[in-house]
Amino acid sequence: MIKLNNIFVKFGDFEALRDINVHVKEGQFYTFLGPSGCGKTTTLRTITGFIEPSSGSVFMAGNDITHVPIEKRNIGIVFQSYALFPTMTVYDNIAFGLKIKKLSKPDIDRKVRDIAAKVDLSDEQLAKAVSQLSGGQQQRVAIARALVTSPAIICMDEPLSNLDAKLRVQLRNELKSMQKEFGITTIYVTHDQEEALTLSDCISVFNKGVIEQTGTPNDIYNHSQTEFVANFIGDINKLEEAITESLRLNENQNHFIRLERIHVERKSTYDGFEGVIASQEYYGLYIKYYIRVKGQILKVIEKNDGVNIYNPGENVKVIIRPEDIMSYAKE
Amino acid sequence: MQKSNSFDAGFIAKIFGLVLFLYLFLGFMVLPCLNTLTSIFTTRNVQGNIDPLAVVRFFWAGTMPLFVWNSLKLAICLVFTVNVVGISIVLLTEYFDIKGAAVLRMGYMTTLIYSGVALVTGYQFLYDSNGMMTTWLAQMFPMMNRQWFSGFNAVLFTMTFACTSNHALFLRNAIRGIDYNTVEAARNLGASPFRVLFSVVMPTLLPTLFSLTVMTFITGLCAMSAPTLLGYNSINPEIVRLAGSSSADEAFPQARAALLSVILAMFTVILLSVLNHYERKGHYLSVSKTKAKLVKQKIHSKFWNALAHIYAYVLFIIYMTPVVMIVLFSFQNYPAIRSKMLNVKDWTLVNYFGTQNYEYMTSRGRLRTRIGSISGVFSNSDAVGGIRLSFIMSAIAAALACVIVVLAVSYIFRHRNKMRALVTESCLLFPWLLPTILICYSFRIFFNREVWYVFGNNLYWRENVRILIVMAYTVTKLPFALRMIKAAFYAIDDELEDAAKNLGASPVYTFLKVKLPIILPSVLAVFALNFNALFTEYDMGATFQSSYGKTYAMIIQNMTMEEGREGYNINASGRRCASTVFIMIVSGIILYLVYGVGARDLGERLEARKKWRQRWARLTGKKL
Repeated sequence: MIKLNNIFVKFGDFEALRDINVHVKEGQFYTFLGPSGCGKTTTLRTITGFIEPSSGSVFMAGNDITHVPIEKRNIGIVFQSYALFPTMTVYDNIAFGLKIKKLSKPDIDRKVRDIAAKVDLSDEQLAKAVSQLSGGQQQRVAIARALVTSPAIICMDEPLSNLDAKLRVQLRNELKSMQKEFGITTIYVTHDQEEALTLSDCISVFNKGVIEQTGTPNDIYNHSQTEFVANFIGDINKLEEAITESLRLNENQNHFIRLERIHVERKSTYDGFEGVIASQEYYGLYIKYYIRVKGQILKVIEKNDGVNIYNPGENVKVIIRPEDIMSYAKE
Repeated sequence: MQKSNSFDAGFIAKIFGLVLFLYLFLGFMVLPCLNTLTSIFTTRNVQGNIDPLAVVRFFWAGTMPLFVWNSLKLAICLVFTVNVVGISIVLLTEYFDIKGAAVLRMGYMTTLIYSGVALVTGYQFLYDSNGMMTTWLAQMFPMMNRQWFSGFNAVLFTMTFACTSNHALFLRNAIRGIDYNTVEAARNLGASPFRVLFSVVMPTLLPTLFSLTVMTFITGLCAMSAPTLLGYNSINPEIVRLAGSSSADEAFPQARAALLSVILAMFTVILLSVLNHYERKGHYLSVSKTKAKLVKQKIHSKFWNALAHIYAYVLFIIYMTPVVMIVLFSFQNYPAIRSKMLNVKDWTLVNYFGTQNYEYMTSRGRLRTRIGSISGVFSNSDAVGGIRLSFIMSAIAAALACVIVVLAVSYIFRHRNKMRALVTESCLLFPWLLPTILICYSFRIFFNREVWYVFGNNLYWRENVRILIVMAYTVTKLPFALRMIKAAFYAIDDELEDAAKNLGASPVYTFLKVKLPIILPSVLAVFALNFNALFTEYDMGATFQSSYGKTYAMIIQNMTMEEGREGYNINASGRRCASTVFIMIVSGIILYLVYGVGARDLGERLEARKKWRQRWARLTGKKL
């Protein structure tokens, strides 16, 4: 559906994007993930046409759209701030694109009300000013405005970042089901790895203007190809020399293990490490332990089964399986 | 082909815009002011030779330094008095817990609707040698000098209370922005309320106070209406006098006026540079994540509390007396106004509407009647003419300033961080560096001949002077309009423009449908505030004084002089009072529209509309 071939973007001497290659398939929920300033929004703006690449091409449905003007690309956008027009009512915001396309009034009205119903906006809400809506309702307006012109794909630039934690989780689920319902190809930008993992069919992890890894959420999380990806996605322990030597791991590599891959037992049949519980954080669903092992503090997550709960100072066995370790060459 | 046409149209529009901008900037800003500057050094001596330093020598030999010194003296004294009164009124209404603060605040803010020539003539009416207040004070203190309200004293007194409007607006906002947690923290650490005031509160107000001090100094230096009407020899009235004088009467008056204007400009440039430098250093911003609203401080000492209340209400009386008296006297007949004694039994509307005949006894004992000699402000052809002319000229100038600035700021934002944007902005700010009087004086002298680029017209000739006044009004209001409208443009989220573009809107459509509605309240506010200021503007009207360009303020000034001449215009003072009331109503409506209605966003407007509908339905018994 969307293909980026060898995209380079330069701002003066600064190289914002370096050799970006992306292939978004039809109906896919595709996420650009990375820290601030890594180039994910620049890539999105290159696709939408706000930025023209210094070199490389953008293809949409097989057609080169690199130099096609923004308004002719047929791409809907949901902005980070939603960019709802504050001087217009909700209805006028949604109808804006249709009016520019010079549709007849009845057609505009029908389309606006159809899309409003689909995103769960009432007639009463349509008559309101956008400032009178809650954050979640505003997001729905932004999505409705982007979808009403029937775009081929929809791009979302961190649309949940302005919301509080609870609403973010709620809307994340709504977003996913809406995408499935409309079946529209979606490109999503976020720095929140949890959001990316829960929503996406495919993720590209960006760092300093390049893509470090592209893959499914499972690939990205469990088979991180670079040290940056392993560190950026989820929490992780970097194993120190005392442990890596005991496990006879390659000394020319850095070794990492995810928190949930370490197991803690009172008595182990395996040859585990001797550990002492340094402290614990209680999360309800699970418990996070800080365990001193061979002079290093390891973070471990254990399911809260209500029985096997360890107290600070308690001696435990810590089991690390070599196949759970992710190793990367030292730079 | 299509691309080529749009390129041609864009290129032609750019060239046209550039030429128009250069024409206006060079023709109506640079050339007239440059002419003024060069006129200083091109003075001819008695032999007819050019003597570049003649005016400078004359300056030191004559009385001109006195005017400069007088202006400086006024400016320096005003800095102290205005700050003392300005800070007092804000602390008394916003910081300390004073009974009746809401009423006091309204009284202190009357200068927002009652200022300029109307205020000066109002004070004159009350405080001159036979004024009501002076008579009353003389009864209380018989040793008092009844002539106290003249010259420097009168100007200082009047301007002290007239110039606190900026304190009432900006210092009030600054004090309301203080994080109350910092006050509580200081109290918790053992600081007394006064220690908190001086160590915690005042330092956060310093940047605002500094800006206000500089603006007050410039206002004092460039004072015009108060010195002219109350008789004080400062720079601006002297410039206007010299501009109207001829070399037959005195030595090179035009060059002297130019020199004084340039001296004033130098002071202004230095002060504004200092202000700009200071403002760039930044302001104290609260680092608090959860700012607490300021809670008014009780003065626990009974003595100080009583003193603070007395001080607050004395100030209130000073602010309110002229306003109340002017309103009351505007409904009094001419004998009451002339004797400045309220006649509670006899009220009239003749100062506003209609005419009356005036009967008087001549020195030979004959009874004469002047038909229609007593006339209301809306029945007097001079007054109505002045109102109409000022209304039209102010509206045109305020609209022109807005249109020019909106187009310019749109251009500036399109080319942000580029040299051409900086140059455009600097050109529009140019009049800010120059005192109004210099611009007007330059216009008057430069355009008082046939000028080729205004189609060979003399703009200071007959009705043309109105065009000149409109141009001067527009030019002097550009910097204010630029600062305000630029701030409004900053408030537009860049993503809105991106969104409109993404939905297929052209730049013009985006500007008209998305950007303009957002900045419109600010643009209308700038229009209204500029209109308000120009409608009763005195300085420029006085500089361009001409029978074809008699502005409303000049008509009001004339009312102070023409009363009672051989029975003509017998109620000029009454009409003046009525004019002042009319100005207060107009200003009040404009301020309400700007800050009351105009400040509402779409949501608030829809809410208000809904409430009105509900009220209407309740009244009529209809269902919504």
